[in-house]
Amino acid sequence: MILAVCGKGGVGKTTVSAVGARALASRGVRSLVVDADPAGGLAMALDIEPKKTLNDIRKELIAEIKAGQRDERDLAVSVDYLVAEALTEKGGIAFLAIGRPEDVGCYCKVNVILKDAIEGLGSMFDAVLIDAEAGIEQVNRKVMGSVDYVLLVSDTSAKAVRVAETIKGVADKMVAGEGAALLVNRFRDESEVERVRSETSLDVIGSIPEDDTVRTFDAGGTSFFDLPDCPASEAIDKALTQAGLFA
Amino acid sequence: MGLFDEQIKEVRAFIDEVRASGALRELEAAGAGDWPQRSSLVLEEDTALELGNPKIASLSVLLWTEESDLADGRVLLTGPDVAESTAPSLPFAQVLLAKGRFPNEYDSYRDLRDAVYDTHMEGLSVRTMPSKQTLWCRVSRDALSSGLSLVHLGAEYIDALKQVPGVTAAEALFVTSSAADVAKLSRAASGAQRLVDAMMKMYQEQNFDCETCEYQDVCDTVMDLKKIRKKLADGKAVQG
Repeated sequence: MILAVCGKGGVGKTTVSAVGARALASRGVRSLVVDADPAGGLAMALDIEPKKTLNDIRKELIAEIKAGQRDERDLAVSVDYLVAEALTEKGGIAFLAIGRPEDVGCYCKVNVILKDAIEGLGSMFDAVLIDAEAGIEQVNRKVMGSVDYVLLVSDTSAKAVRVAETIKGVADKMVAGEGAALLVNRFRDESEVERVRSETSLDVIGSIPEDDTVRTFDAGGTSFFDLPDCPASEAIDKALTQAGLFA
Repeated sequence: MGLFDEQIKEVRAFIDEVRASGALRELEAAGAGDWPQRSSLVLEEDTALELGNPKIASLSVLLWTEESDLADGRVLLTGPDVAESTAPSLPFAQVLLAKGRFPNEYDSYRDLRDAVYDTHMEGLSVRTMPSKQTLWCRVSRDALSSGLSLVHLGAEYIDALKQVPGVTAAEALFVTSSAADVAKLSRAASGAQRLVDAMMKMYQEQNFDCETCEYQDVCDTVMDLKKIRKKLADGKAVQG
């Protein structure tokens, strides 16, 4: 099961992903958690310092190509090695960060090799959880073509819900899996959730209340692996269970 | 004369030295028994033993010959086998030797290399970095308790190499004794790498401007590379 957490910036995708990582770890699911946001917020939320990022690997591969004498098979084998080296294991999960692309130039061959390697890596886990970059760009670039379920996170603002609907529209064309639903974050009053339900065509899989425990963890930079059970974590757990992440 | 004569000589000298010290085990691949073939990713928490962590010592070499004698199906080991290790991580060198007829060096190289890359064993993660000639393995707890041995690994490689057209014999050497022993093979490994790189360049670039080529030294001294260069240059002249 590959589940991607998508949505507008600032709606709480990383919090949902971090709580999801904690839930996968506590259940003992053999899982890969991918921080696909170049800002690297999920690594911080889980207090993980990635050994290297996918972008570091990309740079190493480009250097290999420039050095010559390596054909595609050698490069594919090399990327498997480098990706294994980049996996950071903590709390029972394997973690991989995308990192921030810095170099210019088109290296389609490298990108294809990397995409194949990540898909191959994902197939060796029972669950893959991806904290996607804000907006539609990654979905649009078919980066997440093999995703089974797109979990759309929004707060209660109309703007965030519209962005989620746009992502769903793109995902319908670009993403292999058909699962998709909206998870409404940070509501203060049930009536806000009802309003969102009435204003969107998206299936609403759940709603997460504003929660001081989560706010405190966020503000203090404490690892979400140590987050105690709280109303927000229970709501996220319930939504991810319903989405089939732990099946 | 063969492409890797010098390197095979160095490997043989290493084997003779270890044999003379009484630290060499000579095992038969045929006695290994079957092991399930499946690509595995062994995570840290499932790892019983690590082999070839590049921070300790790691080396992987593939050599082939048309003339040198090989003891077909032989697995040589110096150092502890996986079940005998008392340390969580061991230095590791792997030298694979194949004998046969290889009329097209480049195609043969790729076939032999791919046979090695395509060898997978359940409970054993093998990651290879060709440009650094490193091989990093993790043995899972389950595989260890089920009796995985380096003889199984050697047997799988020997079997895979012998599936390649033209190969008549194959042999495997594993070194887990010490980083110093792994280092003793590094000269042969880097020499082989340079020859393969030179050959790859000839086939991929088809550029025979030897004055500007960084592999001129090896091409000028290794007879078989000279032959390859001449064959390719003649072919290019005919096409031209």
